[in-house]
Amino acid sequence: MTEAAGLLDPHLTVGTAPAGREKLGLRGVSRHFGAVHALDRIDASIPEGAFVTLIGPSGCGKSTLFNILAGLLEPDPGGSVALDGMVVPPGGLLGRVAFMPQRDLLLPWRSVLDNAILAAEVQGQPKKEARALAREMARDFGLAGFEDHFPQQLSGGMRQRVALMRTFLFDRDVMLLDEPFGALDALTRSLMQRWLLDIWSRYRRTIVFITHDIDEAIFLADRVLVMGARPGRIRMDRAIDLPRPRAAALITAPEFTAIKRELLEVLEEESLKTFQAGQR
Amino acid sequence: MTAALRGLAGGLILLLGWEAAVRLFAIPPWILPAPSGILATTWTARAGLLPAAGMTLAEATGGYAIGAVLGILLAILLSQAAMLRRVLLPVVVIINSVPVAAYAPLALLWFGTGATSKVIMVAFIVGFTVFLNALDGLTRVDPAGIALLRSFGAGRLSILWRLRLPSALPAIAVGLRVSTVRAMIVAIVTEMLGSQLGLGWTIFEAVLQIDFLRVWAAILVASVMSLAFFGAITLLERRVVFWK
Repeated sequence: MTEAAGLLDPHLTVGTAPAGREKLGLRGVSRHFGAVHALDRIDASIPEGAFVTLIGPSGCGKSTLFNILAGLLEPDPGGSVALDGMVVPPGGLLGRVAFMPQRDLLLPWRSVLDNAILAAEVQGQPKKEARALAREMARDFGLAGFEDHFPQQLSGGMRQRVALMRTFLFDRDVMLLDEPFGALDALTRSLMQRWLLDIWSRYRRTIVFITHDIDEAIFLADRVLVMGARPGRIRMDRAIDLPRPRAAALITAPEFTAIKRELLEVLEEESLKTFQAGQR
Repeated sequence: MTAALRGLAGGLILLLGWEAAVRLFAIPPWILPAPSGILATTWTARAGLLPAAGMTLAEATGGYAIGAVLGILLAILLSQAAMLRRVLLPVVVIINSVPVAAYAPLALLWFGTGATSKVIMVAFIVGFTVFLNALDGLTRVDPAGIALLRSFGAGRLSILWRLRLPSALPAIAVGLRVSTVRAMIVAIVTEMLGSQLGLGWTIFEAVLQIDFLRVWAAILVASVMSLAFFGAITLLERRVVFWK
């Protein structure tokens, strides 16, 4: 807890998000797995430098969508993903977006530093160079003094920061984060959220962030995409115009709760559909 | 360290009990000699036991090294060829489930009674054990980890080198560890069936000559060597697979 608290900049430097050109575009993306219809004609446009959160009931196809955005899965014929305005061919997204899966997946035989440079190393960057860069970055990620530790010696929050650092060091404009704080306790999570916003403002990447926590979705985002029950589709695309920098107390502000109520209505409806489908 | 000490204490108690029982019940030496007698014979017969032990150790470790390298290489190859693996694996399991001693006469027939037949037998057994363990480790890698590396743009070789091989190391190490004892057993059994030199031969010969103390002395030497081999590989394993 306190380790994460020390990382927070008391004068958060986050500016407002730029309303830039489209970075990532989804056009009619569907996906079937045999008879299961996981995604249904998803359209979305994610602007450059934006922080977009994706929320929805469990089993709504969030992870399928993420695997498509990471290039690990192909959409059904007819749908496409565009990066920087260019439609991406099959497999074309592999190595082009920085993907962070739900579990940290740190390799126990690699030190913190060597885990952090994994993606850079795969991309062919010389180890020495990558390590030097990682060493500099370790302070920002609250890992100073732990560079040569092994993952099994770290707390859950620290492991997650190593995984995040690995994602940031994989120097790509788009980052996909799949519930990175899902396994953390509430207090650590809240600190990590503010820390992530701070880091994001410094390194300026386009972030797509999956969560099933409404507060988290609103607190972090420039925009929240709400996904509906299976087959997954975007039920709501809500801009979050709350001012930045955002402080922890924001989640009790009336503007915040108003947005939350709005999102909850859609989410409840969708969760209920999943629930009733399960009862049939 | 304390575990080693406890083991040592246990062994000492066993030996003392054995010695006492032999003396107390006056057991004749051809049924069970006293440890003191075995130790004395080991010393007096050292001129014959030493070259025999050297031969057996050379056969066992030589075959072990060949088998381990071939087993790991073959496992790496098959880990990259899913179709071939599904066809070959059942055959390998069947061959491996036949008791080793059954093949030994064939090896002697084909490769003679010299060291070659023993080295080949040991390599065969160790190779299979290490191969099966390594293949299991190489193919049972967390799919999420593979997906992560693929998302970084990693190809097959990169995934093999950075993820599959290190993930398989604990399994490979287990194969290597259990293979040490098997290597010694197979070398000795094959020697018993036909050879001119080695601990297995010494035991066989001493039985024919009704020299039971020398049988026991050879068994003692073989046990100490086997234990040392096992210990050395276990130590190496702890160093290499430090994260387990």
